[in-house]
Amino acid sequence: MARSWRNFFRKSTDEEPEKGQAVASPPEGAEEGNGHRSQEVVPDEEIGSAVPTAEEVQAGRKEPAPADEWEVEEPSLADETLPEPSPAEAETEAQAVAEAQESSGWLGRLRQGLSRSRASFVGQLNAAVAEFRDVEDDEFWERVEEIMIASDVGVPTTARLVAELEQEALEKNITSGTELRELMIDHATRMLEGPVELDISHTPTVILMVGVNGTGKTTTIGKLSRFLPGTTMFAAGDTFRAAAIEQLQTWGERTGTPVVARERGADAAAVAHESIQAARRTGTDVLLIDTAGRLHTKVNLMAELDKVQRVIQRQMPGAPHEVLMTVDATTGQNGLRQAQMFKEVAGLTGIILTKLDGTAKGGIALAIANEVGVPIKLISVGEKVEDLHPFDAREFAEALFGDL
Amino acid sequence: MFDTLGDRLNKALDGVRGSGNLTEDQVKKVTREIRLALLEADVNYGVVKEFVSNVRERATGAEVSKALSPGQQVVKIVDEELANLMGGTAHKLSFASRPPTVVMLAGLNGHGKTTTAGKLALFVRKLGKNPYLVACDTYRPAAIDQLQQIGRELSVPVYTEGTGPRPEEIAERGIKEARDGGYDFVIVDTAGRQVVDMEMMEEIRRVRKVSRPHSVLLVLDVVTGQNAVEVAQAFQEYADFDGMVLTKLDGDARGGAALSVVSVTGRPVKFASEGEKMGEFDYFYPDRMAGRILGMGDVLTLIEKAEQQMDQTAAEAQGKKLMSGKFTFEDFLQQMQMIKKMGPLSGLLGMIPGLNKQLKDVEIDDRQLGRVEAMITSMTVKERRNPKLLQNPSRARRIARGSGATQQDVQKLVKQFNEMQKMMRQMGKGGGMPRIPGLSGRR
Repeated sequence: MARSWRNFFRKSTDEEPEKGQAVASPPEGAEEGNGHRSQEVVPDEEIGSAVPTAEEVQAGRKEPAPADEWEVEEPSLADETLPEPSPAEAETEAQAVAEAQESSGWLGRLRQGLSRSRASFVGQLNAAVAEFRDVEDDEFWERVEEIMIASDVGVPTTARLVAELEQEALEKNITSGTELRELMIDHATRMLEGPVELDISHTPTVILMVGVNGTGKTTTIGKLSRFLPGTTMFAAGDTFRAAAIEQLQTWGERTGTPVVARERGADAAAVAHESIQAARRTGTDVLLIDTAGRLHTKVNLMAELDKVQRVIQRQMPGAPHEVLMTVDATTGQNGLRQAQMFKEVAGLTGIILTKLDGTAKGGIALAIANEVGVPIKLISVGEKVEDLHPFDAREFAEALFGDL
Repeated sequence: MFDTLGDRLNKALDGVRGSGNLTEDQVKKVTREIRLALLEADVNYGVVKEFVSNVRERATGAEVSKALSPGQQVVKIVDEELANLMGGTAHKLSFASRPPTVVMLAGLNGHGKTTTAGKLALFVRKLGKNPYLVACDTYRPAAIDQLQQIGRELSVPVYTEGTGPRPEEIAERGIKEARDGGYDFVIVDTAGRQVVDMEMMEEIRRVRKVSRPHSVLLVLDVVTGQNAVEVAQAFQEYADFDGMVLTKLDGDARGGAALSVVSVTGRPVKFASEGEKMGEFDYFYPDRMAGRILGMGDVLTLIEKAEQQMDQTAAEAQGKKLMSGKFTFEDFLQQMQMIKKMGPLSGLLGMIPGLNKQLKDVEIDDRQLGRVEAMITSMTVKERRNPKLLQNPSRARRIARGSGATQQDVQKLVKQFNEMQKMMRQMGKGGGMPRIPGLSGRR
């Protein structure tokens, strides 16, 4: 029942024709042409001098920098200098991790993560369900409302869910708490269901990671790369925050992934542009582009994101193929605004719900699915690489509403 | 997206005006709206329950005053209750009688501890202290680099031992180093942690023990939802914090979490952190947060910001010039720069009550100011002083080229400027009200 990594990546556009991108990756010649045209956006000379000196990025570091060749990756040298795993190896590795993870029972981990210190929450729900007598018990429904609100589901989505439940419970003449809980899980599941697969059918597939500050973009890129089949490359598009580039480079080092980086303060669009060139040159399968965290209310920063998008699009029509937004599970109702604004500006294809290992219940996922309509694709239930999982609507709903 | 509580209450109490006391039915309607507003602002539902029952008590039988609409009156009660709960005045920093003062930061991952460390360092330096940073986040990749880069930007020394030693050891040696070096304000940055991670919580307890901080600050992202209460309780138990730093206040989250934490732990919010610039950090003014949670704007902050940034006499001189119609592009530029110092325009406008609502779907492009600035700086001094010269198309063309704008943009700016001048002159004659220039800007 657990959603496996194995079916998570969609490699061929035929499998899901209605969702398949109209624009397949252009032939080699066309790519050259595109690459050339977008030089207008990013002047040649800039690209030439792209790679920062180690002093610029690392100045002041007291500790010896671990493995210098990782500090700043020269993309064109990637094949020669990197212990890049072959696609087959990478796949085996991903499978091994996936298997290890399934054997330890990711559902268990999720439940554990979700319920560790929320015993009272589940207890309350159990108590409420146990007390359930008939559908017209207003107090009961008020309790259910309260429980959902307490997990950040938010008022409008809670109201909708409770209204649906109430009606169906009435129609089906439900009298037992167990049946009712089944119904709750069904409804929540339906609300959460969406296309979860990641489209990686392009060469290179370009994945853009966006989100507000501190939600875990860089960490998620690092984790995700471990599961992606084929070769990967990172682009350090967060050129704003102090040491964001170094953070991604450390992940590159850990996962054996080349990193395209420029100096801090460089144009993020230029980094994106350069990374696509590098990914094409090296025949990389998946390019993961990190971006700076930005509050959705900052017009300038959202415009910058739009520019990054346009540069990518111009260089490679149809790209970015996935635009993923990280949302911190501890986020309250502002998560809705965040998702709405990022959807408008960046055309999100999915949400990654991070930090589900704390006390947060992640109910905001339900609100986002209901009110914004962007599918949740991945969840992260811990700090380790294997704590990243493809999203499963039913299991999430089950974990949310506790064990029966 | 959200109606302000005031709007909602007025709607709920439509038709009730100056008719004696609020009836029980009216109070019921009112408390329902308050409950929803607070829940939408992410106030913990348990806290909401208690709060609403307080308000209900006070509102039942409250006399409807003639000066206020019933909605306004209830808002006033709610506002007072909120301010009451959040504590009345700002908590100013106190310093150890025998330096160094040691402050430890703690919090969840990604809530802004490291950035706060830098901001706090700059803040205390402005108060005449000599800050010192200690990097104890040995977990997140490049967290130490981040603190070092911030330290370099601010020219504040950063003590690190890399990621090898245990955080409590680093803290101990770092504080000693600071004392020996004659620094009088030490900020200990710690790793982000989840409160269910017992090992990590035990670790923060140890770091706290060896650091013997004068103050422990919980750094909390203003977007935090319902679980703020559990987070705060856990950090209270393990790190025994005495105050909070509320971060990312430049977003549009209503920040109900702050209310939850204060009411559950009794610990006040001490600092407000706004943006990514190091200077965007200040004491927290609880009375103003009430307005934000309720969506009622924040006049006080605006007034104070304006006072801080505008040189009073310069402003007066400019005001006179403005009214006399002798206002030039040079003055305009100066004013614009003052306004820019006050922070993003969108943030400023959000603080004006009423405007907040009107503007909720309008995006304000701060870059517009930049474009205008570019055009003005591309003018010669002569042109700035005598805008009539700019009616010459070849001059407009030159300015357009110099500033990356189109000729139409320049002509439009000149036209608007002339109109403004004319209007000001009339207002000056008629003794009308001056207004903040620059806010009339184009969109």
